[in-house]
Amino acid sequence: MLIVFSDFFLSPFRYAFMQHGLLSALLLSLSGGLLGCVLVLRRLALMGDALSHSLLPGIGVAWLLFGPSTPALFAGALFAGLLTALGSALLSRLTRVKEDASFGSLFIIFFGAGVALLSRLPTRLNLSHFLFGSILGVSAADLKLAAATSGLTLLAFLGGYRSILLETFDPVFHRAIGGRGGLVHVGVLALTVLNLVAALQTMGVVLGLGLFLLPAVTAYLWCDHFGRMLGLSVALAMAGSVAGILLSYHAGLASGASIVLCLGAFFLLSALFSPSHGAAGKFIGWVRDRRHASHFT
Amino acid sequence: MAPSENIVSLRDVSVRYGRLLALEGVTIDIPCGSLTAVLGANGAGKSTLLRAILGWMPLAAGEIRIGDAHPQHALPRLAYLPQRHAIDWDFPITVRAVVEQGRYPALRPWQRLGRRDREGVDRALAELDLGPVADRQIRRLSGGQQQRVFLARALAQGADIFLLDEPFAGLDLFATEELTHIFRSWEEQGRTVLAAVHDLHLAGRVFSRGLLLDRSLVAAGPLAAVLTEANIDRAFRTGHCVHAD
Repeated sequence: MLIVFSDFFLSPFRYAFMQHGLLSALLLSLSGGLLGCVLVLRRLALMGDALSHSLLPGIGVAWLLFGPSTPALFAGALFAGLLTALGSALLSRLTRVKEDASFGSLFIIFFGAGVALLSRLPTRLNLSHFLFGSILGVSAADLKLAAATSGLTLLAFLGGYRSILLETFDPVFHRAIGGRGGLVHVGVLALTVLNLVAALQTMGVVLGLGLFLLPAVTAYLWCDHFGRMLGLSVALAMAGSVAGILLSYHAGLASGASIVLCLGAFFLLSALFSPSHGAAGKFIGWVRDRRHASHFT
Repeated sequence: MAPSENIVSLRDVSVRYGRLLALEGVTIDIPCGSLTAVLGANGAGKSTLLRAILGWMPLAAGEIRIGDAHPQHALPRLAYLPQRHAIDWDFPITVRAVVEQGRYPALRPWQRLGRRDREGVDRALAELDLGPVADRQIRRLSGGQQQRVFLARALAQGADIFLLDEPFAGLDLFATEELTHIFRSWEEQGRTVLAAVHDLHLAGRVFSRGLLLDRSLVAAGPLAAVLTEANIDRAFRTGHCVHAD
């Protein structure tokens, strides 16, 4: 029994690349789990999705200019992400187009440009590597970036917990007591882009956001307290990362996809069975109300 | 306590949204401890007036003075209560956690709530009869209780002046009566309340003073003197499209 346990859970981590992959995923689970809660509660989930796709042309341009240098690729992705965030904010303010539509339009243009650029690169590099990530290639530099990003995000949440809570829950009140709402908003967007870039290697641009949104939206189905939601979201992201990496190893699946599938299972089960906010709980409440009402008719 | 000094005074205040004039040459005095309804049609400048007093709108002209000669009112604290639809009632937060936000301005970002802060929160919860539901998520409250949560947060803030944007909107009859009762007791305690209200009939039942806006001031003073047929006709006859109030 013990041997089976050891074989299944521990043996994959004898390899250095698996240890790197796991550590990178755990670090990003910490920051992604925190940021995801703000994105979900501020209804920015789809915007985050758009932002993640728009990183691709930055990678393509950086590759064309500087070749396969990791810092250059990350800088390119960061630049593209910030350009999308800024561009859509400007578009929505200077034209009639609303922010969701400007984000939607810009990201698809950026994503198209990214796919076009990467498909023309004079290399045998696989496009899917950037789209869906590969845990095999997490280098020491990637780990450092993940640690720095995660640490920065944690510090921002520790130091600015109340500002983040107020800006997410009641921005008008935040402003009324002298809070700097714009700074929190821009900070959250910048940290999101930074985390997406750091998750590029492990999760890829398309799946990276899964590590943010799925644990947060799952925790939202269980918690009635913001602080607890943050904690549960981080714990779920970490559990999903470990389960996903094991699944990826044993079933030979892509790491990003496996992690997203595990987190997706948590979410779907919660959406069905969470007693207070899930579908089953609501259905039972509805049946009970109908029965109660039928006594009076 | 009878209203004495004016705690808010506006002199010839004008506010613009771009090229549109939202308030023009408004001069009014709000007595300390008064219950005042801000009345007018949509776009008449009700919300703009509240925002100008809060200091959120740059004034195109005029000046706003807040505070009176009373030693405790040299720098009075203002509390703003948002419209109900501006709140996400599904947010994972309890009643107590919302009321605790009223203490945040007095704390450093990393400082925990002290004994005095917690006592202030408990007092605000008790005054508005929210003690028994303090640990409930805010969706699981009645409409009246939901409105009282934000009044309690303002109390915990130690506010002297309460600025409310359509506090009666979306409330049922029972909750409306409850809120009316709270405002009346606040008036007796000498708290100043200024509320944008679109329902003239309701305003007549609840508030003692009023100010009627039509971008410029139509009338101000005791409500019976403000809500004359001629004033109402003047304020509501013309349509507005400056901004949604």
